[in-house]
Amino acid sequence: MSETRSVGTPRDGAFFWTMLVALLALAFGLPILGGGVYLIWLGGSWYYAIAGFGLVATAIALFAQSMSAFWLYLLTYIGTVIWAFWEVGFDWWAQVPRLVAPTVLFIFILTTLPALARSGR
Amino acid sequence: MMAASAACSMSKVPAMTASRLPTTRLLLSASLALVLAIPPAAAQDGSGSGAGTPAGVAQPGAASPDSAPTNSESQAGTQAPEQPEGEMDSPAQTATEGEASSAESATDEPAGSSPAASASTVDQSAGEGTDAAQDSSPAVQAVSEPQPQRDVGADWPHWGGGPDAQRYSPLDGITRDNVGELTKAWEYRTGDMPTEETEGKYSPEGTALKVGHSLYLCSAMNILVALDAETGVELWRYDPKVSPDAIPYGATCRGVTYFENPEAEEGEACAARIIEGTLDARLIAVDAKTGEPCEDFGENGAVDLWNGIGERVPGWYSVTAPPALVRGILVTGAQVKDGQAEDAPSGVIRGYDAVTGQLAWAWDLGNPDLTGAPPEGETYTRGTPNMWTTATGDEELGLVYLPMGNSSVDYWGGGRSEAENDYSTSLVAIDVTTGEPAWHFQTVRYDVWDYDLGSQVTLIDFPDPKGEGTVPALILPSKQGDIYILNRETGEPLFPVEEIRAPIGGVEPQNLARTQPTSTYHTLRKDRLTAKDMWGVTPLDQLFCRIQFQRANYDGIFTPPSADKPWIQYPGYNGGSDWGSIAVDPERGLIIANYNDVPNFNQLIPREKADEMGLKPINEKAPESESGENAAEGAGDPQAGAPYAIDVNAGWRVPFTGIPCKQPPLGGIRAIDLATGETVWDQPIGTARRNGPFGIPSFLPKRIGTPNNGGSVVTKGGIVFIAAATDNLIRALDIETGEELWSDVLPAGGQANPTVYEENGREYLLIQAGGHHFMETPIGDWYIAYALPEVEGEAGNP
Repeated sequence: MSETRSVGTPRDGAFFWTMLVALLALAFGLPILGGGVYLIWLGGSWYYAIAGFGLVATAIALFAQSMSAFWLYLLTYIGTVIWAFWEVGFDWWAQVPRLVAPTVLFIFILTTLPALARSGR
Repeated sequence: MMAASAACSMSKVPAMTASRLPTTRLLLSASLALVLAIPPAAAQDGSGSGAGTPAGVAQPGAASPDSAPTNSESQAGTQAPEQPEGEMDSPAQTATEGEASSAESATDEPAGSSPAASASTVDQSAGEGTDAAQDSSPAVQAVSEPQPQRDVGADWPHWGGGPDAQRYSPLDGITRDNVGELTKAWEYRTGDMPTEETEGKYSPEGTALKVGHSLYLCSAMNILVALDAETGVELWRYDPKVSPDAIPYGATCRGVTYFENPEAEEGEACAARIIEGTLDARLIAVDAKTGEPCEDFGENGAVDLWNGIGERVPGWYSVTAPPALVRGILVTGAQVKDGQAEDAPSGVIRGYDAVTGQLAWAWDLGNPDLTGAPPEGETYTRGTPNMWTTATGDEELGLVYLPMGNSSVDYWGGGRSEAENDYSTSLVAIDVTTGEPAWHFQTVRYDVWDYDLGSQVTLIDFPDPKGEGTVPALILPSKQGDIYILNRETGEPLFPVEEIRAPIGGVEPQNLARTQPTSTYHTLRKDRLTAKDMWGVTPLDQLFCRIQFQRANYDGIFTPPSADKPWIQYPGYNGGSDWGSIAVDPERGLIIANYNDVPNFNQLIPREKADEMGLKPINEKAPESESGENAAEGAGDPQAGAPYAIDVNAGWRVPFTGIPCKQPPLGGIRAIDLATGETVWDQPIGTARRNGPFGIPSFLPKRIGTPNNGGSVVTKGGIVFIAAATDNLIRALDIETGEELWSDVLPAGGQANPTVYEENGREYLLIQAGGHHFMETPIGDWYIAYALPEVEGEAGNP
């Protein structure tokens, strides 16, 4: 057998919620990855391309209802927090663009955990 | 920071009659004597005389940028009354009048002078020689003796408080301990609100004067109003009927001027008068008691400032600041709407007799020979640096201090004359008795950043850094953040001026100044921007800003304007310090300076592209295109005559979200030790309550530091009162620590300087809540007065 999807994944609210979060991650991830590569080319920070890559990978994993989405994003998030404090320390206003949206996304991903867990992947 | 007026017609002023007291005849004969004496004076080396003594301080423009690794050279210059030598008749004039000269400590000036200064010296003497021949010496002369001045206290008689413009009140009824109890005493609405036609163009910026028992103010469209100072009840109003198309950059009237005619009879009409400059470039004088126009002033109370300027284009030449009043002379410049064309109205500065409105003198830096009205068919030199802000009068020295801007094309200087480069972005001291410059101090050489001097200078007796005693000095804040302390007799800086290397590049590298001055006394400027300073709401818009940062030209302050790529200008054209100016507590020895901390993101637009975009100067635009919201200053300004137009993204805002690319704080307020220039405390000003992405208020009370416009008032009671920030709050801070002690929400933006006064034993704080189109705060027409609650049964006790 070579199904790519577990038999019997219910297409319920949890499923679609996960799809929504996946779309959100993709909507941010693609431009951050693309722009991030451009920024590297311009001589700027490497963070955005790397974080964008992490976001896109997370999105793909979420589309596949895979638990690896959680780990991928955890890695991205920890890296983001380290980078943010390395850049601006405890300047809280400066931390707004660096931490707020990623934290919100982290919370969203946490809410998809039940769906990811039951998919068995 | 820019249909002929309905009422105004001719510029002729009535001939001076002999209906006044004998002093007038004496003045007349003295003036004649002066005129006759000018040729002999010109033969001198020009270092003294009634024509004034120039003392060029700091190198003129780009002409000699490398000549002084240290600071500005200066030649001590004084004005006529102090000149001990010479057979000049100007001293004769003053001798007849009574000796002002003894009062002023004459710093003597050697006849010899440094090369840079002598360049300007030569100019002057050449001017003097031909003066008498070319145009008639004005029939009006300033009074040569200092006139008694009303002082600040119960009154707030000048825009800057006292005659020294310190924005300091000696009242101490409100203190740290009781300011928390301040409540609204009354509010008044002028009724001057934008119409559909003027929507998006209002920025009143008004400060009321208080003299006697009345308040005097002007509204955004120049309606003059008098209020009862205790109750806020309107006593009279006068509407000069300014046409909406006269609005330049915004409908603004920062304040009015109060003048008492010392020679008027008791009860004579206009013995005390209120004077304002209007958006349609008139000087208007009305009776302070009744609001009726003064018959003897100009033409039925109005003097036409368009006279000698050239083609009347409404909205191009407007007055937005109160005229300075020195020795009976009203001194005014005008706001020339930025960035339109090289061939723009002149920046000429003119002095008018405060009683008759007659032109006393004109200072046209492009044509120093022209000291009166230009000959028929000619104009003052077009496009020269102008003064749009408030000048400061020095009654004792007989000088007026003019913070000048740069030429009408702000971001490209290839068409500027040497005189323009000499005086642009300088503080110029003019002798009001002669109309000639006494000295000038340049703060930016070859200014292509619109760093015009916007702050009113403050006079102070400054502790002499070299030893004991004090020096008559002035405090000069600037948009780049530098604060200079200058000896106001000579223009010499009291603290060393350092030269910093300026980056070279852009579209006219050969013209740029290689170095720029900076003040070792104090600067409000912060470190240069880095990629880490980019901001946003999410990593995505932050990334957008970082990409813009990488792609732009930027090499610190004075990064040259470029067309191939955008360039970052930091500080932006809103400062540093702007028209709100600084306040000083002379007893505690503290300067309070609020400031902006905001970059602009600019790009020059080559002429062909600008033509494609349809960028046209104001005198070529069809009238319909004027209606609707005014763009921010510089956004798509044509700069006609120059090879480039300019696009300024003020505040470096991200499209769509409107969020600034630079992280907060975007504005702050600071206390500076007066004697040393050290920072005592510094903090952001403004909370996030009104600001948020897409213009949606976030209601966060946290102090974030917002852009701010408007200044503070400091009191003997130890309070700093300031609104200014974009959060619509008026607040009271402890002057020693900066701690916020009280605040209140205003019904509109508080972009104005407050007034503090006392009436019937009660201390009042008065602030305009008028809003501001550029600052994006809600527009209003309120003046709101606060005071401590009245104690029962004791109202009126001091």
